[in-house]
Amino acid sequence: MEIKFENVGYIYNEKTPLAKEVLKDLNIEIKPNQINAIIGKSGSGKTTIIEMINALIIPTTGRIKVDNFLIEPEKRIVNIELLRFQVGLIFEFPEEQFFNSTVEKEISFGLKTFKYKTDEINKRVKNALQMVGLDESYLSRNPHTLSSGEKRKVAITSILVFNPKVIIFDEPTVGLDSNSKNNLIRLIKMLKNKYHKTIVIVSQDVDFLHKLVDYIFVLSDKKIILEGNKYEVFSQVEKLKEHGIGVPKIIEFTHKILVNKGVKMGYRDEIKDLIKDIYRHVT
Amino acid sequence: MIKDLNFKYHNKPIFNNFNLTIKKGTWVTVIGPNGGGKSTLIKIIVGLLPAEGYIAVDNILKNKDNIKEIRKKIGVIFENPENTFVAETVMDEIAFALENLEMNKEEIKQKIMEVSEYLNITDILEKNPFQLSGGQKQLVALASVLVLEPKILILDEAINRVDYLDRENILKVLQKLNKEKGITIINITHDIEEALYGDDVILIDNGKIILNGSKELVFKEEKIFNKIGLDLPFMAELSLNLMYYDLVDRMIFDMDEMVDTLWK
Repeated sequence: MEIKFENVGYIYNEKTPLAKEVLKDLNIEIKPNQINAIIGKSGSGKTTIIEMINALIIPTTGRIKVDNFLIEPEKRIVNIELLRFQVGLIFEFPEEQFFNSTVEKEISFGLKTFKYKTDEINKRVKNALQMVGLDESYLSRNPHTLSSGEKRKVAITSILVFNPKVIIFDEPTVGLDSNSKNNLIRLIKMLKNKYHKTIVIVSQDVDFLHKLVDYIFVLSDKKIILEGNKYEVFSQVEKLKEHGIGVPKIIEFTHKILVNKGVKMGYRDEIKDLIKDIYRHVT
Repeated sequence: MIKDLNFKYHNKPIFNNFNLTIKKGTWVTVIGPNGGGKSTLIKIIVGLLPAEGYIAVDNILKNKDNIKEIRKKIGVIFENPENTFVAETVMDEIAFALENLEMNKEEIKQKIMEVSEYLNITDILEKNPFQLSGGQKQLVALASVLVLEPKILILDEAINRVDYLDRENILKVLQKLNKEKGITIINITHDIEEALYGDDVILIDNGKIILNGSKELVFKEEKIFNKIGLDLPFMAELSLNLMYYDLVDRMIFDMDEMVDTLWK
């Protein structure tokens, strides 16, 4: 599914004394069926971008193509709910929005609102639960009593029931321990590989992103200053630091070796591969 | 010091005969899986949750009558500082607690200047605290606590939502407070990397202390971390791997030191 930003700009509180431009002439083409990431400092406009993809925010200039939909200033979007079924957005701390007494009610709430038939709802809830790896015993549980990792899964399930083609995650790892993060990595990879979803992740957690992303956009000063696969992006250590963005620990370390000792190591994903390189160099 | 602590939540026992002593002047990082009891423990220490057992802070045994005295010794910083902001300027925000103590204006101003210079935030004193960046907000929260001269600082997931550069800045400020002013720091976090800035590490799971000791010793227990499903900090994992191949002979947490040791 195509998602393309063409010269998009956004000004908060436009035409008021509080007007603040956050995006300017932005051009982005999200890679379909891949795991895309948008990184940047807080306040750089990352969340604004993803809220534009399902038309929660309409650009003040330029336009966004999402499949057959066109999101542009002062134009009404016909069948906007269809767009929102196709683009599922999972906010930061989604569990803070839980308001039902059971997981089943929480997950099926959206479908009921759109008057889906009971059989269809049950089928979709069952499928979505299976996708995230929760068994049906969870359906009768109170979502507020679950662990943080399980709560995130329930929140994801409540989006998956709409069978979206694109799933957007806003800061999905905040507040999660490494165990839950690793589960989330497996889940997102499966959504891409098995169910061919397009994934967009906004996150500052570069060590998490390093383990799963295919393509990265770096946002700073209202525009994309760098994009490419993780090797192309994270190897620009100095440039990223200038813009207040960190790099994964393994990259930071190999960069230290280069700066302090002039020794260039390859780009490694795993510590065990890095160890082999070090062994070859120092023995 | 905590002895024989028992705590139930909705009739479910969280802590059962729990014992823990934290040495004065150390920086302890409390880690563990989500829901393991980390935050609950802190709420019990500061008296926000009732529990059975004995808790002594700075050699004073906590009871109903001295809870205020004990709270004065402890400063707590939470994840969302703006939830506790009440004033329109940073200056008034930091002054708030001091005004409640009925301290005179000159003294208040002097205290604020002293702490703001130490934290390097004098340039934002006239700003609205709600309009600051996440990192600045936490520094304001820290300043509001430091003017009360606590002996113990407790951070509950305090830099969770802070940008990467601000995060490093805050951790270094805390290091300075710990080393120069001798303030005991208890940092509860799910980000194990933060433990490298401190001295000791306590791993809590299911209301029990699984590991407790210096970071050098705790992070050697790779198997226990694997079993619980937690990752080690990057430099700890790297050290252990390099030790296995005899490339280094100890845990090294500083990247520059590690590079120098390998290429000496």
